[in-house]
Amino acid sequence: MLTVALAEVKAHARRFVAVGIAVMVAVGFLTATLMVNASSEASLANTVGAGFRNADLVIAPGPDEPLEPAAAESAAAASAATGGVAQTYLQRQAYIAFGAAGTAGFGVLQNLSKDTALNPAELLRGSWPAAGEVAVDEATAKRLQLAEGATLRLAPAGGSVAAESLAAGRDLTVSGIIEPSNDPLTMGQPQFLAPDAILDGLSPAESPAAVLNIQLGLADGADAGTVRDAVGAAVSAAGLRGATVNTAAEHTKERVAGLTGGSDPITPVLLAFALVAIFVCGLVVANTFSVLVAQRTRDLALLRCIGADRKQIRRSVLVEALLVGTLSSVAGVVVAMALMAGLVGWLRQQPDTAFAALAIPPFAVPLGAGAGILMTVLAALAPARAATAVAPLAALRPFEEARAGNRKGRARLWIGLVLTAAGAVVLGLGAARASLLVALPGGLLSFIGLLMCASVFVPPLVSAAGAPARAFGVPGRLAAVNAVRNPGRTSATATALLIGVTLVAMMMTGAQTARTAFDSELATQYPVDVSIAGPAMDGTALDARDAAAAAEYDGVAAAGLVTPAGFAEVDGMRTGVYRLLPEQKRLLQDQTLVLDDESVLMAEGSGVATLTVTGSRGEKELTVVETGSMAFPPLVSAAVADEVGAPAAGSPDALPQLWLAVDRDLDAAALMQLRADLAAGLGVEEYQLSGAAIERAAFNQVIDVLLLVVTGLLAVAVLIALVGVANTLSLSVLERTRESALLRALGLTRRQLRGMLALEAVLVAGVAALIGIALGVLYGWLGAQSALGAFATVAPDVPWLQLGSVLAVAVIAGLLASVLPARRAARLSPVEGLATA
Amino acid sequence: MTTRTEQSSPLPVPSEGHAAPAAATDALCKTYGSGDTRVQALKEVTVAFESGKFTAIMGPSGSGKSTLMHCLAGLDSADSGSIRVGGTDITALGDAQLTRLRRERVGFVFQAFNLVPTLTAEQNITLPIALGGGKVDTEWLDYIVASLGLAERLKHRPHELSGGQQQRVAVARALLTRPDVVFGDEPTGNLDSRSGAEVLALLRRSSQEMGQSIIMVTHDPVAASYADRVVLMNDGRLVGDLASPDTDSVLSALAGLGA
Ligand SMILES: Nc1ncnc2c1ncn2[C@@H]1O[C@H](COP(=O)(O)OP(=O)(O)O)[C@@H](O)[C@H]1O
Ligand SMILES: [Mg+2]
Repeated sequence: MLTVALAEVKAHARRFVAVGIAVMVAVGFLTATLMVNASSEASLANTVGAGFRNADLVIAPGPDEPLEPAAAESAAAASAATGGVAQTYLQRQAYIAFGAAGTAGFGVLQNLSKDTALNPAELLRGSWPAAGEVAVDEATAKRLQLAEGATLRLAPAGGSVAAESLAAGRDLTVSGIIEPSNDPLTMGQPQFLAPDAILDGLSPAESPAAVLNIQLGLADGADAGTVRDAVGAAVSAAGLRGATVNTAAEHTKERVAGLTGGSDPITPVLLAFALVAIFVCGLVVANTFSVLVAQRTRDLALLRCIGADRKQIRRSVLVEALLVGTLSSVAGVVVAMALMAGLVGWLRQQPDTAFAALAIPPFAVPLGAGAGILMTVLAALAPARAATAVAPLAALRPFEEARAGNRKGRARLWIGLVLTAAGAVVLGLGAARASLLVALPGGLLSFIGLLMCASVFVPPLVSAAGAPARAFGVPGRLAAVNAVRNPGRTSATATALLIGVTLVAMMMTGAQTARTAFDSELATQYPVDVSIAGPAMDGTALDARDAAAAAEYDGVAAAGLVTPAGFAEVDGMRTGVYRLLPEQKRLLQDQTLVLDDESVLMAEGSGVATLTVTGSRGEKELTVVETGSMAFPPLVSAAVADEVGAPAAGSPDALPQLWLAVDRDLDAAALMQLRADLAAGLGVEEYQLSGAAIERAAFNQVIDVLLLVVTGLLAVAVLIALVGVANTLSLSVLERTRESALLRALGLTRRQLRGMLALEAVLVAGVAALIGIALGVLYGWLGAQSALGAFATVAPDVPWLQLGSVLAVAVIAGLLASVLPARRAARLSPVEGLATA
Repeated sequence: MTTRTEQSSPLPVPSEGHAAPAAATDALCKTYGSGDTRVQALKEVTVAFESGKFTAIMGPSGSGKSTLMHCLAGLDSADSGSIRVGGTDITALGDAQLTRLRRERVGFVFQAFNLVPTLTAEQNITLPIALGGGKVDTEWLDYIVASLGLAERLKHRPHELSGGQQQRVAVARALLTRPDVVFGDEPTGNLDSRSGAEVLALLRRSSQEMGQSIIMVTHDPVAASYADRVVLMNDGRLVGDLASPDTDSVLSALAGLGA
């Protein structure tokens, strides 16, 4: 029987191509997922080791026990005296403020090693800094337009505004440009390197520079292990406690473990998506093998006639599955490795991720391939059983249309129905109680149940959708009939696609619903779209000129400067009270608020009925009107402000605020850009801009990115399902060769034949997508309600445009899936087609 | 989706001429394969089939009967020579025009697998007209259906019909468009002798009563005896021509071929 199986695979290799591709994609996804964690750890190791790249041994502090500077000094000295140690470097770091060419900011300053060999960075240009000199990382040098010989001002990092700290600093000359470090603790920050004396001068006595580690270089020929033990003894003798002595490689490993916390949050998520892909692939495989078995009914019956027993028949089908599964799984693993290698290679070319590294954990290859093979064989079990049911007599019967029998499916239907009902109840409960933990299993259960019942509702729906196709004449009518000719086949094909589409639609609806819920929640949280709290980076308060300038920005609908009107005691704290001019009222989120001359608007939950506002001329007791917002500064009318008299300008606890209303149609990216532009234009830090619009944009951006990633991951499952659609169609077309030839002989044009098959594919794919979208919308809404119902009112919000494009993609993909089978069918001449028995 | 009539140049109009043959070939050659496997299926076949007549093509297996019929019906292309159907030279027509020719001017009855399994008998009968988006002549349809005894079977699917009934449905389909010529490739080959006789009698009646030109390939002398004329083929050539044949004359003519 092995020969039969081999011959079958060989003779009909083309029929297995699609299934092979599906398995390959699924296995590739799984294997790549298994490589992600190892590769990201390897990449991390590259960055983590950057700070001690030249060291042989590293003496590092233990967890939660920083190295005492004094003890570290003596330990370093003791290490230096140990035999086999050639160089020592006590690496220290301080946070400093810097200023050059009118720009100020914060960065990290590290000390230079006395032994140049151990310096923690690579010198790109110029020389290592000597007294009065500093080296700057290339990125910062470029940003500040600093070259060797330029002057840079460094100062201890005092307050929260870099420019203010600089007064106490000292000017240094830039001696050289170093490569920016990729160490995760310093990456992206401005990095400076200077001799010890400068570091000491810039770190105040009350907060001395932190000791990072002690790095040692070995003498030529010294054995790392021996020296490590000797240094360990010397270090503890010197009184440095909690420290560990490791080789550089060991220390890297330890730091990686410390940074990742030993846990890996990405892999489980990716794995979930890979499993969905594998499951969908299993459906495609099972469907393909059922079709193949059905097509071979006569061959199988003949084998039975000449004496093959059921077990042999079953084994023959399973061997085919094993063969196909093994070949395509191995191909999948290879593709995954090639893809990851390509990705890492590309990342290495990028300046920001040059540290990327590929790592293939030993278990990834057998696990990925094994899962693929197992899935293929498991998926072929049911078709193999069906093959054994072929009666030997079938070989003797004239060729007949295979009628789909639905006897065995009954039990499955009932189970599916029960699961759906039970799951729906649990899901409804979860949504009502706003508990995701309840809703999640309910949703999963009901979805599995629905999939099991797919054969009940998918064929009728495809049939119904096919009714309008009759408008296309005979080809349309035939397409509609053919689409449901084998109901089991149709449901299996549609189900595979439905899974992916449901999940995508669910994510889209969930995201959109969460967005809307969050938006309406935000509208009440903040008084205005954007508020800018002073002062500017140069220390000056925002003024009317800034307001006028802000109003000029594209996307800013209106701007107003809200100035202090006085002070009041709120929760025992002296708090600035602001004046809202009548023309500024339109800036408020909540337009229903009314501000009269006897009241003060306050944040929600102020807990007081009246508030006394004190100005420079007097005070006034006002009735408190609570707003829905949690972050609402007390606001009084202009008349009240005049009455109590505004405080002197520049009072630090009541700086004027700039309030903006932005255009409604501004999207998240445009808003973030506006925020950056405004910050730069007004000379403030970006974090000083806040408000409903900013929060909304930030949240939307997070949602958008998440949605994009999730959709991308689910796209794999959808792609596999589409391969399944093409595969089913092409197998059905093979089966209908004679029928197609007859139709051609009777006058069906090539184009009509192609159109007919395209319509058939579009019907199946389109209906699967529609069902998936409908289910996804329901699940997405209930999911959002379960997750967010406790914090916000969740009204279903359907992203029609996105869902429409999902449908369009499915339909277009259905069309594309029909191209190859239809081409083949149309190419066949009627004579040849009629000749194939 | 354009699944309607293919946009293409109209079929050439038949050149008017008296008693144009239903179908004719001139020095038709057809070769299959190349090298060692090269088979000359048709060797300069020149033949004309009179309009309104029922002609049988006979000959031993492999003599080129089916090939000749496929070429005549526009199902296959020839290497050289010319083919005319109802006065139209179809030798140089492209696929789209040949498809229209088959739909409008030619009818088929094959040996087996004549019907589309998903369509009812009636839908199968009207299929060629529906494919072209034309209107069915219901009177004509009723007449054909009645005379073929299919009135009770119109709503049935092919698998619910007997072999003889299926062939009769195919005959009805072939007659409905009033084609220039109906082709049959062993139309009774799969039938028992009684059903076969029924179908053959039907074909003869259509020819005699409706003036339908029919060309039938067969290797059964009894079947051939229903025809007005028998054309004999051997090894890709025409080797004989019998008018008003009966079973015995056909048998003796075949015996002369050494078949
Ligand atoms: N598609 C084909 N490829 C190669 N040879 C063919 C093909 N069709 C027919 N032939 C050959 O052409 C010859 C005539 O075939 P055919 O017309 O089918 O004969 P008949 O119908 O009289 O039995 C035979 O030798 C046959 O083997
Ligand atoms: Mg033949």
